[in-house]
This record gives sequence, C-alpha cells and structure tokens, in this order.
Amino acid sequence: MKKRLSSLFAIGLALGAALDLSAAKKEVNLFGWSEYVPQDVLDKFEEETGIKVNYETYASNEEMLSKLLGGAAEFDLVQPSEYVVEALVKAGKLEEIDFANVPNMKNVGAEFLHQPHDPQQKYSVPYMAGTVGIVVNTEKVKEPIAGMADVFSGKYAGRIVTLNDNREILTWALRTLGRDINDISPAAAAAARPVLTKWLPQIKVYDSDSPKTSLLNGDVDIGVVWSGEAAILFNEDKKFAYVLPKEGAHLWIDSLVIPKGAPHKADAEKFINFILRPDISVLISNAFPYTNPNLEARKLLAPEQLANPASFPSPAKLESFHDIGKSAALVDKLITDLKGGS
Amino acid sequence: MSAPRASTDNSAGAKRDPRGIGWLLLTPLLGWLGLFVVLPTAILFVYSFCQRDELGQVVFSFTWSNYARIFDPVYLGIFGRSLWYAGLTTALCLAIGYPVAYFIGRSPPSRRSTLLLLVMIPFWISFLLRTYAWISLLKGEGLISSLLQGMRLLTGPLDILYTPTAVIIGLVYTYLPFMILPIFTSAEKLDNSMIEAALDLGATPVRAFTQVILPLTKPGIFAGVLLVFVPSIGMFAVTDLMGGARVPMIGNVIQNQFGQARDWPFGAALGITFLALFAITFWFLHDRGEVRR
Amino acid sequence: MARVHALFGGWTVLVLLFFYAPIVFLVAYSFNSSRLNVVWEGFTLKWYALLWRDNRLLAALENSLVVAVAATALSVVLGTTAAWLLHRYRYRGVRTISTLAFIPMVVPEIIMGISLLVFFKSVDVGLGYGTVIIAHTTFCFPFVMAAVQARLVGLDPSLEEAALDLGATPLKAFWHVIVPYLMPGIVSGALMAFALSMDELIVTYFTSSSASATLPLRIYGMAKVGLNPMINALSTIFIVATIVLLLASEWVKRIRR
Repeated sequence: MKKRLSSLFAIGLALGAALDLSAAKKEVNLFGWSEYVPQDVLDKFEEETGIKVNYETYASNEEMLSKLLGGAAEFDLVQPSEYVVEALVKAGKLEEIDFANVPNMKNVGAEFLHQPHDPQQKYSVPYMAGTVGIVVNTEKVKEPIAGMADVFSGKYAGRIVTLNDNREILTWALRTLGRDINDISPAAAAAARPVLTKWLPQIKVYDSDSPKTSLLNGDVDIGVVWSGEAAILFNEDKKFAYVLPKEGAHLWIDSLVIPKGAPHKADAEKFINFILRPDISVLISNAFPYTNPNLEARKLLAPEQLANPASFPSPAKLESFHDIGKSAALVDKLITDLKGGS
Repeated sequence: MSAPRASTDNSAGAKRDPRGIGWLLLTPLLGWLGLFVVLPTAILFVYSFCQRDELGQVVFSFTWSNYARIFDPVYLGIFGRSLWYAGLTTALCLAIGYPVAYFIGRSPPSRRSTLLLLVMIPFWISFLLRTYAWISLLKGEGLISSLLQGMRLLTGPLDILYTPTAVIIGLVYTYLPFMILPIFTSAEKLDNSMIEAALDLGATPVRAFTQVILPLTKPGIFAGVLLVFVPSIGMFAVTDLMGGARVPMIGNVIQNQFGQARDWPFGAALGITFLALFAITFWFLHDRGEVRR
Repeated sequence: MARVHALFGGWTVLVLLFFYAPIVFLVAYSFNSSRLNVVWEGFTLKWYALLWRDNRLLAALENSLVVAVAATALSVVLGTTAAWLLHRYRYRGVRTISTLAFIPMVVPEIIMGISLLVFFKSVDVGLGYGTVIIAHTTFCFPFVMAAVQARLVGLDPSLEEAALDLGATPLKAFWHVIVPYLMPGIVSGALMAFALSMDELIVTYFTSSSASATLPLRIYGMAKVGLNPMINALSTIFIVATIVLLLASEWVKRIRR
C-alpha cells in the first residue's frame, strides 16, 4: 500500500511540476537570436503587462529552423532573417499578424517594409537590420583590409574569428569569385570548395553568439562579424574599425514573426507592439547597436550612436539573401565536410 | 558475522519463481526501459535511413547515403580524431589519477575519508563551471599567460585556448575524478598481506607493483577507463567552449546535425555508428575486466 | 614500499593543487570589480547582487531543483524496486534485463539525448518539464539500482523469511524490514542521482524547452557568450553549498556510527 502510494506521489510530483509550472502563468515564448533582446526590456514587459517572457536563444537561422520545425517545442515569437521569413511564408508556417493589435507599426521606416520576403507585410514586423562585415583591430593589423581576400591572405592565419554560419561563410567565397550569392548550385559549391579549403584552416574561432569576446580578449585580431558586435567593439575602443567588403556584403533584416499554432498569439502581438515603442526600442539599440528600423526611436538616439559606422554604415554594395530551397542541404553538407577536414 | 558472497548466489534463501506476480511487479521497469531506451534507439535507427527536405525536416524515404557519407575520409577522420583525443584523455587520467587513487586507498582510514572528500568536492561542482574557470585562466590575456610572460618562459601571449591542447586539458580536468574513484575502490580492497608477501619473497617495489598490485586493481582500472573514455567522446560542451567550435569531435558533429546543419538523419546515422563502436568497446573492456571469482 | 607511498603522496598533493587552483581563482575573481578577469581592480560584491537580481538564472536554478527532486524520487522508486525484484525472483532472461537496465548508465549521453529527442518528436510530445524529468530519471535510476544491489549482497535471506513467518505479507515485509535495511544504499544512490541530475547538460540540451531550461543549460549559454564575473559568483555559491553539504553528510555519517 505504502509502496504504491509513494510511487503515485513521485509520479504526481513529476506531473505536478510539468502541469503546474506551465499552465498557471501568463507567458509568451520568445525564440530569438542570442545577444539580441535585453533582459531589462523583457522585465519591463512583464512589469507592465504581467506576462512573463521565456527567452530561448539560437545563433543561426538554420539552428532556429531545426528546433522550430523539428522539435515539438511551441514558440510564440521567432526572429528569422529575411530569407528565412521567405521560406517560412512559402511553407505556410506563419500566422498572419493582426495589425489592429500593433498600432506602433507606424514607427517603422518605409524602406524596411514590403520587402521581397513579405511583400504584403502580412507576416512580419522588422526588428533590427544590419550587415555582416569585417572588424579589424587596427593596433595589431596595420595593412589596409578591403575585402575577404585580404582577410584570408594568409598573413593573419590563426588570428581570425568568424561567424559560425554555414550560409554566410559560403557567400563570402562566392562573392570573391564574382558569383551570384543566391545561386547555390552544385557548380557554385564546387567552385567555392577550393577557396574555402584555403580559408577555413585560418580561422581560429567560430562564434555566432558573441564574436566580440575573442576580439576583446586579444585571442584574435580580425573578425567577420555581425555589425552590432562591431558597433559594440567600436564603442569599447576606437581601435576596432569596421569595413564592408568591397566585393559586397550581406544586408539582413531580422523580423518578429508568429509561427502557426502559437499558443499565445494575442500576447505575442502585445509584445511586438511593446517593442515598437520608441523608448523601448532605444533600450534595445543601447544594448545591441544594430541598424534600428524604428524611425521614432532613432530620433531619441544620441549623436555618437547615430555616428557609429557599424550601426549606421555609409552606402556600400549590399544585398540580401533569398530563400534557396533545397540547396540549403548543399550548403550545410559542404561546410560540415570542410570544417571536419581541418 | 559472515554475509553471503554474491547477490546472485542465493542458495541459502532460494530465489523464488516469479510466476505471475513477479512479472507483474516488474512491468514498470520493463515498460520504462522499453519506452525510453529500446524504442528511442529503434526510432533513431529508422531515422538514420531517412532523408531531409529543404527546410530540414525528416522525410521518410529510404537511403543508404547517410551511412555512405560516414565512410567519407572526412568523417572517418573525425571518428578517428575523437577516439584519439578520448584515448589521450583516458591515458592521461589514468597516469595522473592512478597514483592518487592508490595513495588514498592505502591511507589510514581517518586520512582516507578526508582525502576522498577533497577529491569529491570538485566532482560535485558543475563541470561547466570548472571548464569556464580554465577559459579564464588560459586566454591570451589571462593569468597564466601574464605569469609565464613575466617569468620569461614565454615571448608572446599564451596561445593555448581554442586549440586541441586546451580541449584535452578541459577533458582531463572534467573526467579525472571519474578515474580516481573506481581505482580507489579497488585499491582500498587490496590485501596488505599479499603485497608484503611479494616483498618478503624478494620482489623489488617496482615488480611488486607491476606483478601484484596492478593486476589486482584491474577491475577499478577498467571501470575508470570506461567511465572516462566513452563520455569524453561525446562531450561537445567542453570541445565547444575550449576549442572555439574548431576542434570537431564526433559529439560536436552530431550535435551540429541536430542544430545548424539540420540533417537529423545524418546525425542519427552518426549516432548509431557511434553506438555500435561504443558497444564493441564496452564488450571488449567488460570481458577483460571481469575478475573470475 | 614506504618510499613509493611517499612519492604517491607528493603526487597526490600536486594533483589536488591542479584540481583546486582554478576553483580558487574562480572564487577570488568573483570579488574582483574588473569585468575582464585578469587585473585585480578592487573588492566588490556587485556581481553577487547582480546574480541575485538575475531572474533567468534564478528561474533556471528553480527548474534544476524541481527536475532533480522529481527525477531522484522516480529513480529511487524505479531503481529500488528493480534491484529488489531481480534479487528476489529467478527471472528467465535476467541477464538481458539487467544489461538493459544498466544501458542508460553507460551509454554516451549524446546518444541518449538524440534518441529521446527523436522519440518525443515521433510521438508528438512537447518538450518541457515532463520530457526532461523522464530523461533524467532514465539515466539516474541505474545508479540507484547499483547502490541498492551492492547493499543487497549483504542481506541475510532469513530476514525476510522471519518476517513472513511472523505473519507479514510480502509487501509489508518489504516495506518494514527490507527497505530499512536497504536505506543506506538507497540514500547513497539517491544522492548520486541528485548530483548527476543537477549537473546534467547534454541530455537536457536535447530534451528541454526554454521554460524548463536548467541551470547547466543557462550557464552553457552564458559561457558561450563570453566571460562574466556573475558566473564566478555563481560558482562560488555552488562551491560553498557543495562543501557545506558534503561536510554535513560526513558529519551525519560519523554520528550514526
């Protein structure tokens, strides 16, 4: 009798933990990039609305897709980049946002709306935009760096950090070859292979979470990183210069989207509206100085922030990614093979 | 009071015939094992023959391509490297840990429990935190680097972090207690009189060690080797943090397939292969390690 | 032999230094007001204050404790009954059952992690507290089972017989006679299970959600983003708690004798 009771107790404990902790609170599950949503913004949201935000992170779009589509986890908000929004829309995986709940949408600059990935602006709300470029520790690197060929010339082997992002890495090679970055065919992969075989062994650290760390630590001197990371480095020490490669760079827009079947859609829309408030958007820009698409928020930024060359770069050759469909497998396979070989 | 020798030898109080009730009572265990051990492995096996679509979801169409890809020199190389690092880690743990385990095992009881406690404390502190401590210590502008440069033993900043050396240091540091504890258990049970007898018969300490002590502590050694070798192959966290995602061991590659590379079937194939390798290693060590009663 | 013993003793001291140097360093720098963990810039408690206010970490700690307690409880039930039943009854295929039961203990965690992930995905079970607790229980219970089995070796079979002769049902005999005897094994197994669950990263990585993220997961995320003295502060608290717990259990053990 007692034995059965104690078993029941134990199972009850387990179930109780499972049910109790998930059902009772009002909450919203945010699946976002790491180093992208400041904790004080989440805390403020909870203070004002009573809704708790569970923030889980990823460091690449592909990792996000893997968990979003593969695992059975239920997210209310995700932050895909433009080409992934395109893929998700095509696959019918997103909810249409009810913009009656998001009046602050008017704060977003027109140049960020009606992009190819969401032409009718039905599924996404721009969160932050930015570029992927080269950051140079000018105290250690005296020669001018103009593009990827200079980074991987061999002089800085073992002193380089790059993003841990398969698609990004491949496009850097494709651009130096003068190829279309959105045409990922077996021929393109084959052309990129020898270039990458030469480049990858020179990379000391792959880091998409916080590439600034190894630069700040002095473990590397050059990085190919997100513009916001470069902006933080520039704020930390003016010796970190940001260079957009002359052959072209990736201009990305990350948007907030709501996956189909999200359990807390209305609360998610509340969160989106909250983020679009100029005072909240400024908090995000303070912590993560990317290119803020919220024009009302930009009016509140300090002159040094607006002058940061990584946050608000001068015009350069920039292009966005498009969804490449089945070729994504090619990209992953190529980089996995090449990384393993080093 | 003498206790019965082994729990399987129950001739005194005979083991009962299970009949219905015995099997009924065992169903929770069997059910749990079936549902959470056997079935998941079977599903993993099935997945290893599947394919992925453009969004990275699993498609149930049969293919050998995942296993074929494993025989690509790249992946054979990764398996080889993982086995090599795990082997190196195990060898280092054994070399470093054996004397410690032996010393503690042969110490007088009062000192023994204190020493054991000292070894256990790091074991109980999260391995992540301990690995993190090493990152701080090993980085180019860190403490060890400054010390060594100050002592003129280094001309430039220390360049160990994000190299295989750092990974090995991290792994050894994580798994050393797992080697020490089983060997300690074996060493503690050693009969002093056997060692004394060997010495009395004229053996040098070295011979006494290699011919008597070492063989008698074999069960502990094999347990330690198993507890270190196997987990260190799949330990992607340490290689990630200490190796800068640059020292791919099989654990990292598998984890990557379920993450950024979005190729669950390939990850499953790698997993099944790893499992097969592990089963073979286990069989080998288990048979060798058994002390015949 | 005495010389060998002394040599090994010296070696042990060196190894212990190797063990504790990083730990001492961690603790020391948790009080360093500089963020970069190199130069000592002054004593401060601010990292501890920040830690106390970090809701995500505290939530993760809460999750870890909930999961550990639940997994330990389930492991104790599963492991103890398994050990007892295998000891008491002559099952056909006992070697297979025994091997199967010990597989989770020995198999590489990453295999367990991915196999459970694909399993939960196949049966469409959402990842969360339930899945993490199941995962932890699965690899913890063999430890309880092993500890209880070790204790069963010394069990006098006439003990149960005596209870039965005195009119107890097998169930009562188990609960009132056997279990108290097994208690040291159960306790040591339970402590092992608890410790393993609290420190588990790899299987949890594949089977949890953001709401149920445990402390090791959070720390891993933090460590990947870079060095942070808050982690030092957290480590110090862990270390102190561990030492206190271990000393307490040693003290209890000595009193019992």
